Amino acid sequence: MDNRFDVELASVTKRYGATLAVDAISLRIPRGTYCCLLGPSGCGKTTTLRMIAGHEAVTDGDILIHGENVSDLPPIKRGTAMMFQSYALFPHMSCLDNVAFSLKMRGVAKKERHARAREYLGLVHMADYADRLPAQLSGGQQQRIALARALINRPRVLLLDEPLSALDPFLRVKVREELKRLQRELGITFIHVTHSQDEAMALADLMVVMEDGHIRQSAPPRDVFERPVSPFIARFIGSHNVLTAAHGQIAVRADRCRLGAAGDGPHVNGQVIAVEYQGAMVRVAVKTEAGDEVSALVPDQMFYRKPAEPGDLATLVWSEQDTHALMDA
Amino acid sequence: MSTTGLISDLPIGLKKTGSITPKRRSTRLPPWMVSWFQVGPLALILTVLFALPTTLFLIVSFYDYDRVGIYPAFMLDNYRELLTTPATWRVYASSLRFAFIVWAITLFLGFNIAYFLIFHIRSGVMRTVLFLLCAIPFWTSGIIRTIAWIPFLGRNGAFNQMLMGLGVTSHPLDFLLFSDFAVIITYVHLFTLLMVGPIANSLSKIDPALMEAARDAGASRWRTMTDIVIPLSKTGITLGSILVFTQVMGDYFVVRQMSGGQSASIVSMLSTEIQAMQYPPASANAMVLVIFVAILVGVMMKVVDVRKELVK
Amino acid sequence: MSERISDKRPWTFYALATLFGAYLLFLYGPMFVIYVLSFQGPNGGVTFPMVGTSVVWFQEVFQPGQMANIPVSFQRSLSLAAVVSVLTVVISVAAGLGFRRRFPGSGALFYLAVASLVMPSLLVGFGIGLGFQFLGWQPSLFTSALGAQLTWTLPFGLFAMFAVVNRFNRSWEEAATDLGASAWQRLRYVTIPILLPGIIGVAMGAFTLSYDEYARTTLTIGPKNTLPLEIYALISSATSPTLFAIGTLTTGVSFGAILVSLLLVLRMQRRRGRLDHDRLSVTQA
Repeated sequence: MDNRFDVELASVTKRYGATLAVDAISLRIPRGTYCCLLGPSGCGKTTTLRMIAGHEAVTDGDILIHGENVSDLPPIKRGTAMMFQSYALFPHMSCLDNVAFSLKMRGVAKKERHARAREYLGLVHMADYADRLPAQLSGGQQQRIALARALINRPRVLLLDEPLSALDPFLRVKVREELKRLQRELGITFIHVTHSQDEAMALADLMVVMEDGHIRQSAPPRDVFERPVSPFIARFIGSHNVLTAAHGQIAVRADRCRLGAAGDGPHVNGQVIAVEYQGAMVRVAVKTEAGDEVSALVPDQMFYRKPAEPGDLATLVWSEQDTHALMDA
Repeated sequence: MSTTGLISDLPIGLKKTGSITPKRRSTRLPPWMVSWFQVGPLALILTVLFALPTTLFLIVSFYDYDRVGIYPAFMLDNYRELLTTPATWRVYASSLRFAFIVWAITLFLGFNIAYFLIFHIRSGVMRTVLFLLCAIPFWTSGIIRTIAWIPFLGRNGAFNQMLMGLGVTSHPLDFLLFSDFAVIITYVHLFTLLMVGPIANSLSKIDPALMEAARDAGASRWRTMTDIVIPLSKTGITLGSILVFTQVMGDYFVVRQMSGGQSASIVSMLSTEIQAMQYPPASANAMVLVIFVAILVGVMMKVVDVRKELVK
Repeated sequence: MSERISDKRPWTFYALATLFGAYLLFLYGPMFVIYVLSFQGPNGGVTFPMVGTSVVWFQEVFQPGQMANIPVSFQRSLSLAAVVSVLTVVISVAAGLGFRRRFPGSGALFYLAVASLVMPSLLVGFGIGLGFQFLGWQPSLFTSALGAQLTWTLPFGLFAMFAVVNRFNRSWEEAATDLGASAWQRLRYVTIPILLPGIIGVAMGAFTLSYDEYARTTLTIGPKNTLPLEIYALISSATSPTLFAIGTLTTGVSFGAILVSLLLVLRMQRRRGRLDHDRLSVTQA
């Protein structure tokens, strides 16, 4: 048994009737990794997560956890635990009973399971809420209970289905930090589905970008950001310009572009169509002579020394070393 | 973890699709079978206690009979007699007439009340309370509610006394009781809730944002009603209509009590035959009513796909 | 011409409110007449005026008289209604859960239920009574009458369950599975408890439908009457304020039963809040 990886997907396919939701994807997630599945809606990331969890049957291929083939096992036997997008806390049970639920299903005596549950409530800083009902908690609090409930079984892999989507921006950042800290402390693998590239980049050790049921790129966030493999990824990850050059398509980071004069280096001419103040940076959107839309992310001080306005002619310049060749989509 | 038989004994790594994966062994029941277990008792009871009896009177309607008993046969005489007697047509016409009038009144009342409850009452608690107020009388037996109208509408009844007391009339109004008016009033009293319920249900599913969008685009309150609210409540209206129509057509008691013998109902005709043990013609009568109701309901359900709305 | 936007109610509110008020009067008017007349004096008749007041007619109700035996038929009604209620709950809850998926035959079964609901009651009773006769069986309370009433309460129960089950979030069941619940455990600890308010509603609805049921029962019950049938016999034979006393009493019973179940349900709902699958927005963690 190969135990180098926590989770392995071997050519996993999911078909719904005639629709192919996930097309023969393969992935290996090393032990104790924070892995994010990222992609636009309909790309198959949630389906993949649910197949790993065991809530969705695999049409073809195998799923291995800690080297064991779990493809036919029910969720509880896989060593996974899932945190649902809606939290799915049982509305008729107290927080304590919610967390202790899986122990109850296994027949653990009341005293013992309540004690264990209190431990885990303490872990998520919700010990005082043990007797409250879910309806009496805020969204962030409910999420912590859901987390405790999932962790009490000491899973090897924690699966999170868009856990931050319903939170407001401030809370999102705060909870994000907590999730990362928790993963480090527990040392287990987290697989986190999201459609937000900011979130994925902030959290992931391994970022898996999916499109149309395929894995397009699977690498640490820095690799994906600096060396996107295809135009789709460059565009999806944001802050990249995709241009057609002599030998194919290239990507350049928007923050490595400047407005300047055309010199020997790579450049493109066009007209400013929008100027967007973003605080530390200013985004200048330019429509090139060829009709492409590109943008430059300029530090604010630099921009305001020589501000540009929509309608101005402009040239976008960057250096050769920042050009990155893309494989065709 | 025991996974004997399922562990693939091949090198871990990328596998080609379909080449080595072990046979899927699922011990779970196929979903459709689970569903059949769950709906089984319902299906059984409805078939045995409803579908079969209906087939029974289909069969018996072709039987022969005389004063002594009934004899298995296949004759159309019962139907012929039934459909050629003017009394039959008169009764059907009368029932239909009542049904239409009652339908129109309950639709008007039901829709307005449902609209009021859903769109004008802001507090959820108030809405529940008011809805309950409408529903409580429904929990008293229909028989009691029907005869309740007798002391109310009679010559010496409360209503007449009130009218005279207020000086609106000088002598008691006769037509109030034992007349078509009484029958219709009673039906409306009994069946309006059947309209309010389904329509309120449909209305509550309308996103309030739709009405605001209509307002935004310049629609008057009236136009919003006709172009948005009413079309979106089609299901509720259809359901309510089906219920009201079938209740009126299938009524036995109200007409007998409240019309003072001036009208008969289809079902009371039937019950006379049943009491005389003339099962074949009673069955034929029943069959005709069944077909009639089935056509009515079928037409109404063409208008709206009730199943999709209800089961979702 | 600009209309000032205000929080005041539009004129349609007052119009509809008036209509609603009139409707309530219409609904309750005759009922109050009955309630009042049940306190009719001993020499009074079935219409106004009131000749003194008394509870003599209530007392009449409880004496088994030559024409009608109220207490016994009341008991029969109650026991039948209890059985119908339990059966309806079990069968329609199961069926409601089954209908969550599309399965072969689901369309036919759905329309069968609609047909059973819509079919004139007396016909159903007739069909069953006929069937029993042909088979040589005696119609009785807990066989034919029960069956006939079920054809009425089951479709109602089923449609009520549709509404309840639609609001049920399947994530709860998935979470239960994820945490190791077997199918039975899931049903017992998660599905049923969450559906409980709806189930109580169905139980109470079925109870009342059965308790007040007349047309389906009359041809399928044989010689012993339930309360509505007994009332009908009384009407045909003679009208006296006893009838009204019965009416007041039965309304009281229905009312009591519904009130109890309502309070139960409200208490449950309040504790559980309205947890739908769209999450609460957060201002504090």
